[in-house]
Amino acid sequence: MANEKGITVIGVAIFFLLLIFFPKFIIQHYLLISILFIIAILLPSIIRFSRKNMTSREMVMLAVLAAIAGVSRIPFAPLPSVQPTTFVIIASAIALGPQSGLVIGASAALISNMVLGQGPWTPWQMVCWGMAGFIAGLLAKTFFMKRMTWRLIYGFIIGFIFGWVMNMWILFSGFGDLTLETFILLNTQSFYFDLAHALSNVFFLFLFSTIWIKILNRFKEKYGMFQENRKE
Amino acid sequence: MLRGFRSFHPLVLLLYYIAVIAGLMLNQHPIFLTAAFLSIIFVNLILDKGIELNKWKYMIIFLDLFVFVFTPVFNQQGNIVLFELFSRAFYLEAVIQGAMIALTLSGILALFTTFNIVMTPDKFLYLFSKFFPKWALILMLALRFMPLFRKRLADIQDVQEMKGVSMKDGKLRDKAQNGMLFLQILLTYSLEEAMQTADSMSARGYGLQKRSQYKAYRWKSRDWSMLILLFFLSLSTLIGWQSNKTILTLTPELESILLQGYSWFYLLGWFLLISLPIWTEGKEVIKWNFYQREI
Repeated sequence: MANEKGITVIGVAIFFLLLIFFPKFIIQHYLLISILFIIAILLPSIIRFSRKNMTSREMVMLAVLAAIAGVSRIPFAPLPSVQPTTFVIIASAIALGPQSGLVIGASAALISNMVLGQGPWTPWQMVCWGMAGFIAGLLAKTFFMKRMTWRLIYGFIIGFIFGWVMNMWILFSGFGDLTLETFILLNTQSFYFDLAHALSNVFFLFLFSTIWIKILNRFKEKYGMFQENRKE
Repeated sequence: MLRGFRSFHPLVLLLYYIAVIAGLMLNQHPIFLTAAFLSIIFVNLILDKGIELNKWKYMIIFLDLFVFVFTPVFNQQGNIVLFELFSRAFYLEAVIQGAMIALTLSGILALFTTFNIVMTPDKFLYLFSKFFPKWALILMLALRFMPLFRKRLADIQDVQEMKGVSMKDGKLRDKAQNGMLFLQILLTYSLEEAMQTADSMSARGYGLQKRSQYKAYRWKSRDWSMLILLFFLSLSTLIGWQSNKTILTLTPELESILLQGYSWFYLLGWFLLISLPIWTEGKEVIKWNFYQREI
């Protein structure tokens, strides 16, 4: 394992050296650098996940949740900008932990785009939903996710941050000067969509999060999955 | 059997897309970008007669207009004032910048429509399974679950509608609540079912030893030649960008848009790089015509 740690340290060092010594390059090529950042965010968790010893039941459960998150847009298609994907990801991350949350979020983005068509937004969606799940999973044991009020606030904030990050791929494609002004202009364009997303997150979390987490926890216990103290 | 551009090894195809996207972002010159955009549209036409591109055209046009209109409003760098509006100057440089960004964006979007035609999910997953075997397995499972769940959701909706629970009428609140109820039924139903899938996986020996893989795509000799061609063409693009031959300098002083000297050489390399699908597909078209004439 020492070897792996060494590689990680070298990777992190190269990443920071690039940031420090090529500032001009970064200022000129936001998109390239932002993709580098996305890779830097997702890759370590994915590699750790690949090394984990998982039973087939755990794998299938993750696949089911990712597929439900992807499919969940379909019954809501007639209701404009109401989509429960974020809710499904947050609820399953609270029950199953940060790593599973990240995998479910990123996979849901990837497979729903395989059906709807890939685009430059795919990596952004992957990182957004992946991180929404990851953070929810990290905070699952704290009062943040245990108290309903804080859970709702989290859902609301995530709704807006999701929209803002999704706007960034347009911004980073070189939309004039990257100033606060342009950023705000872009976000006012999408304000109502983001608000609808945030409010639907709050709505679903308020009504359904307790029972969904209960269902998932019951499955976990019934089939002995995702037990933390299991021998790796 | 696949022919033409689609029959190359997925890794070669992925590298082609990475090279072209990087080139689109680096070569910030109106002539380079226009050449790129036109050839990508031609690639679309030759691959599927532009059916896929047609689905995305409104999004592309909308984004282009948005960027083209708003860039000059916010970009206040330049020397040549075109006109003034609401005490804001509009610079020629900013307009050119806006056009270049719009071309880059539409080029990337049009390229992604060809990506969706060429990189079908099976090729995509094949590449994934090379790098992240475990994640790829989850994705494959999830991808199979999608149509199954869609069918199950329709069944659940039908049954629940008989009970009077539906998403068709009522207030928005009730509709959303009922929709979520359907999803909850789908969740418990599918998780129970999925445990069977998992157990049958274990019963067939999943996790006992290293997984073997079915190789759907074999590396052929023509993949090598394509790879070498890709390497040299992207190298020429990179050198051109490094020596500022493929970038239009906007500030401090606007450069002439016309190409000079070596820029033509780099333009040729860039055009050859993007139009690799056109050559490979075009060969097939010529062959087809030739054989038809023989008959």
